Amino acid sequence: MARIELRNIQKFFGAVQVLKDVNLTIEDGEFVVMLGQSGCGKTTTLRAIAGLETVSSGTISIDGREVQGLRAADRDIAFVFQSFSLYPHMTVQENIAFPLRAVGMSQTDRDAAVTEVARVLGIERFLHRKPSALSGGDMQRVAIGRALVRRPKALLMDEPIGALDAKLREQMRAEIKRLHIARNSTSVYVTHDQIEAMSLADRIVVMHGGLLQQVGAPEEVYNRPANLFVAQFVGSPVMNVSDVALESGGVLGFGQGQGIAVPPGHVSHLSASRAVKLGIRPEAVILRHAAGEGLVETRTTNVEPLGSHEIVDVRLGDTTLRARVEPGFARGGQRVWVGLDATRAHFFDRDSGMALRRTA
Amino acid sequence: MARIELRAINKAFGAQRALRDLDLVVEDGEFFVLLGRTGAGKTTALRVIAGLEKPNSGQVFLGGHDVGGWTAAERDVALVLQQYSLYPRLTVRGNLEFPLRSRIRKFSEAEIAARVEKAARTLQITHLLDRKVERLSGGEMQRVSIGRAIVREPSVFLMDEPLSALDAKLRESLRVELKTLHSTLRATFLFVTHDQIEAMSMADRIGVLQKGRLVQVGTPADIYDRPMNTFVARSVGSPPMNLIDGRLADGMAEVGTFRLPVQAAGDRIVTFGVRPENLVLEAGAPGEARIFDIEDQGVVKIVVMDVGDARLHATVPAGTRVARDEVVRFGWKPERILTFDPQTGANLALGSA
Repeated sequence: MARIELRNIQKFFGAVQVLKDVNLTIEDGEFVVMLGQSGCGKTTTLRAIAGLETVSSGTISIDGREVQGLRAADRDIAFVFQSFSLYPHMTVQENIAFPLRAVGMSQTDRDAAVTEVARVLGIERFLHRKPSALSGGDMQRVAIGRALVRRPKALLMDEPIGALDAKLREQMRAEIKRLHIARNSTSVYVTHDQIEAMSLADRIVVMHGGLLQQVGAPEEVYNRPANLFVAQFVGSPVMNVSDVALESGGVLGFGQGQGIAVPPGHVSHLSASRAVKLGIRPEAVILRHAAGEGLVETRTTNVEPLGSHEIVDVRLGDTTLRARVEPGFARGGQRVWVGLDATRAHFFDRDSGMALRRTA
Repeated sequence: MARIELRAINKAFGAQRALRDLDLVVEDGEFFVLLGRTGAGKTTALRVIAGLEKPNSGQVFLGGHDVGGWTAAERDVALVLQQYSLYPRLTVRGNLEFPLRSRIRKFSEAEIAARVEKAARTLQITHLLDRKVERLSGGEMQRVSIGRAIVREPSVFLMDEPLSALDAKLRESLRVELKTLHSTLRATFLFVTHDQIEAMSMADRIGVLQKGRLVQVGTPADIYDRPMNTFVARSVGSPPMNLIDGRLADGMAEVGTFRLPVQAAGDRIVTFGVRPENLVLEAGAPGEARIFDIEDQGVVKIVVMDVGDARLHATVPAGTRVARDEVVRFGWKPERILTFDPQTGANLALGSA
């Protein structure tokens, strides 16, 4: 149980600034996922919270108490790494009990705590095995068990399931989330996998270049990205982004004389002199087999039949738009009509990449 | 002409049989994807065709010629691998010229320059020609290795997981590029992968390989909608098809304590195959389930739910509001339900296959 607060955190490795004025409050009981590419600063942030890394300046508080001067062991926080780091010569039972021996807990209390955490993780039947006799998923369960047995204030996880295969990852994801709910603990989780972030997080923290790009619930990050980086980092296929010209009558020009008219209210906040990019997710690109209002005739250039749906590419002016449609919608090279769901269109400043929103 | 044909190929490595009586035909100009898990024999099949591996028995035909006695160089196929294997000290141009400067191929300097220009234009790497390859990104390097394969203008391209080492965004764009390249070159492409999205999105036809045997060959729609058996059914689609044991009786599926309609005749024990997008959450529906987990993919949500002992995946609209441990009602789209033999896994609608 812990509220974690980062204030004005700066971190330099030599001359390289890896964290740039990070401000973040993680509420008690919250599951926060830090999402970004390698080198974005997400792991450094996590390690700074744990006390495995010092910060160059700024404050870190846990439940209102500044901890940046405390050693990792004194912060009462548990850490799970991608590599399992179990003691190979100890049984699962001994591995999980290890942190409790260090604090001098009695044998009876230790056994009770280990049994409880093993039950939650579904690893009771392995308690007397050595780690080498376990699968990757079970080893990571043991590592999580060892982290949780002390009932730490917060659980920090650094790509804990990144090394597992796809099926096991999916299963472990659900388990980690349920464990979090059952224990009502504060969890901070680092990953580069946007699907992991979307499915686990109460709030996602998107990082890039040592800066927080956006902090928000998965739906918010997906539906209201703060900038181009976030827009294109979350979602698959990637959000379509293209330069557009604002023409009279609410027409978005895609070049070569092709444009799509959108209801003027959706673009009235954009000034014609400003260079903008349009961002539109594949599911918000409309494809039809017949002409209609707001639709432009074009041809399909590529079709990916994925079974449950199709990704269809069409040319529009200088750009290619990818659309997500029902299976069997179109063949390659077929004539179709394309439009945009303007309610789900995003606009970004071409220079800064920042989202340009209507002030509602 | 570059039709590829394998007849009854067997290949063993010691006691391990990598390919078992493999028959395979890739038509001239086709984009064929061999889909299989690690160890299914995909790479071995590719290496046998390329002449890098000698089969224990069986024949390989390229363009109608039995090439069993031909060396890899004589077969004139291009191989693109997951690792780029470029010369790091050479420029992109140097790497592209390299295969053309081989002693057995006598190209004039003008011809070499023309071919390199053309390949670079096709792959949109003209601006990189004078850069050292060690200064390229992963996607650029993979384009260069494809470029090195296409300068020779072979009629057969063999590709072994060329996109696997790239990040998700790049894989997305290179999938489209490879398909465009295929239609530009009109060559025969044989592409092997473990990634069902790559197979579905690029293939004219997919061959599903299991333990060295070809289980089914068909268009992506055939494989997805009319799988021969449960193995094929679960090798495409994400999340994989749900398999639910139950009983078929009077046009109804009896699953646990629920009865749901199906479009299948007969009265017997079966395994029902239900793709996640064909499960529907709605009030008043016949089935009852408890939500185990919810995965928000933005465009849709994947709901994991427990029905008796079975754990099912359902793909539902992004706006669906459900919570963990909530009890929900579900139905399915009766016309989309498959039935399989619980013992053999065979698709009952496709006869005794």
